Amino acid sequence: MSAAISPLEQMVVVLARDLADGELGAAGAAALVPMAAIALARELHAPNLTVGGEMFFNPEPGRLYPSMLDDRALGRCEAAETFIELFGHSHHGLEFFFHSGLQHDAYGNINLHHVGGTLHAPKVRGPGAANLSYCHTSTRFYICPTLHTTRNFVEKVDFVTIPGHLSGPEAKRVAGLTNEGPRFVVTPRAVLDFDPATLRMRLKSVHAGHTAAEVQRHTGFDLGITQNVPQTPLPTEEELTALRERIDKTGTLRA
Amino acid sequence: MEGQTTLTRRSKVTGLQDAARRARDALRERPDLCLGGLFKQGRPVALVRGLLAVGAKGLHIYSSPGAGYDVDLMIAAGAVEQVFIPGVTLENRLCPNFRSAVEAGQVTAHALDALTVVGGLMASAHGVPFQPIDALRGSDVLKHNPLIREIDCPFSGRRIHAVGPIRPRVTFLHAQEADRWGNLRHLSTMVYADQLMARASDMVIASVDRIVPDEVILDDPSRVTVPSHYVDAVVEVPYGAHPTASFPNYAMDEDHIDAYADLGDAARAGDRAGLDAYIARHVTGPKDQEDYIKTVGGAEYLAQLNAETRKG
Repeated sequence: MSAAISPLEQMVVVLARDLADGELGAAGAAALVPMAAIALARELHAPNLTVGGEMFFNPEPGRLYPSMLDDRALGRCEAAETFIELFGHSHHGLEFFFHSGLQHDAYGNINLHHVGGTLHAPKVRGPGAANLSYCHTSTRFYICPTLHTTRNFVEKVDFVTIPGHLSGPEAKRVAGLTNEGPRFVVTPRAVLDFDPATLRMRLKSVHAGHTAAEVQRHTGFDLGITQNVPQTPLPTEEELTALRERIDKTGTLRA
Repeated sequence: MEGQTTLTRRSKVTGLQDAARRARDALRERPDLCLGGLFKQGRPVALVRGLLAVGAKGLHIYSSPGAGYDVDLMIAAGAVEQVFIPGVTLENRLCPNFRSAVEAGQVTAHALDALTVVGGLMASAHGVPFQPIDALRGSDVLKHNPLIREIDCPFSGRRIHAVGPIRPRVTFLHAQEADRWGNLRHLSTMVYADQLMARASDMVIASVDRIVPDEVILDDPSRVTVPSHYVDAVVEVPYGAHPTASFPNYAMDEDHIDAYADLGDAARAGDRAGLDAYIARHVTGPKDQEDYIKTVGGAEYLAQLNAETRKG
């Protein structure tokens, strides 16, 4: 592989490696990176992974689309459902799901409603979110924003649209969030996970070409970096070949 | 039998403007309008434009849990008072007029989630007083959601949520085919919440890409997605979902929606001239759908969207 690995390709590979054979999951609203990760996992190590829970099963898009709720992407799929079945899936939960938002905070809570002001008098109104259930009825979810700045990584979100770990283990218990919640965060700069004791976000690894100091500089809260941070394992030849030749033939992840 | 008139079954086929006037009059009684489809798929946009052209005001808008272009356009035209849709976005970018109007306090956008909306439609469709929901936890949306209440589950004793019936006064749907009696066939991969909305609403008006002969329906009844029993009027409107998609007949017109969003962004920055010109050109200007098609680039341009659905 001659071309340099793009930040989105690195994100896709990190996510794909964490998806297991036989699982049921869906991509969420901003689907480009998650759908590529699901496709890569199915291609390489999880042929029995089922994509479902969003009104279609196992789509075979000819290329990557920014939204999965696009019939060009779904035209070829194994079966279709409706919002009635989505109501059931939302209660039963999936194995994995993906989220990202306008703001993400130190406990993995996500805001899609407003920045500044109040809900009904917002300084900046966001899009809101359709499904608020998969984040806690599913076994786990991943946070994968395609930007990583002090503006979208803040100490505390202005509005909790998608609960992550709230303010830690006790708050999660009180709210009845009994599943794992956000497992890790992957951005174009780094992988971040959560301290098992406090559930606060910390830096796990930095992607090639990035440094821990740089990630901290672009994060609006203290990542508590005290030691050398490892580099995120690079995509293998096999992963890159599958990704570029079979999943992302049009190079959307490198655009 | 002399002197008696023989009754014949009444066709539900009507014209776009008649359908729009009928919807407008019903919405004056109660302003709850619901739109079928999802985001940029299968949205009844010609009916929305028709309604805006005959002058609707103060609408309360419902939809399947995700909407974008059409709701933003209705807000830009000043027709909306409240939005009951969980996610309002163009997906690749945000909805400019929705945001501006909410930030300015001109439109109330309620904080909702998919299960509240789907559950409310389910309660209405099924004729029960509420639908229990047991999958909402930890979100600030729960503090603001006006449609849910906390209840004790009579079986487990656990605190769960209930949503009352959502009963749209009028629902607009778009399907690919119908017969003259109003039996709808969605040929698209997804049918969204269209079947639920049809059963939940007082009045259902559908646009279709084409009216098919009765035999097409009778030969394959399991293919009917919404029986005519639930449908009040059906309008044949070529490209009636444009600029959203009507799969497998045509794909979404991303360039058109992007150009619209640019005008919305300009309005957001203080220059409304382009947006007003857009509404005059595409919404209030065209005298019929044929005229509209000319304003968005003509039949040859739209034929490219037909081809786009067949790309693999």
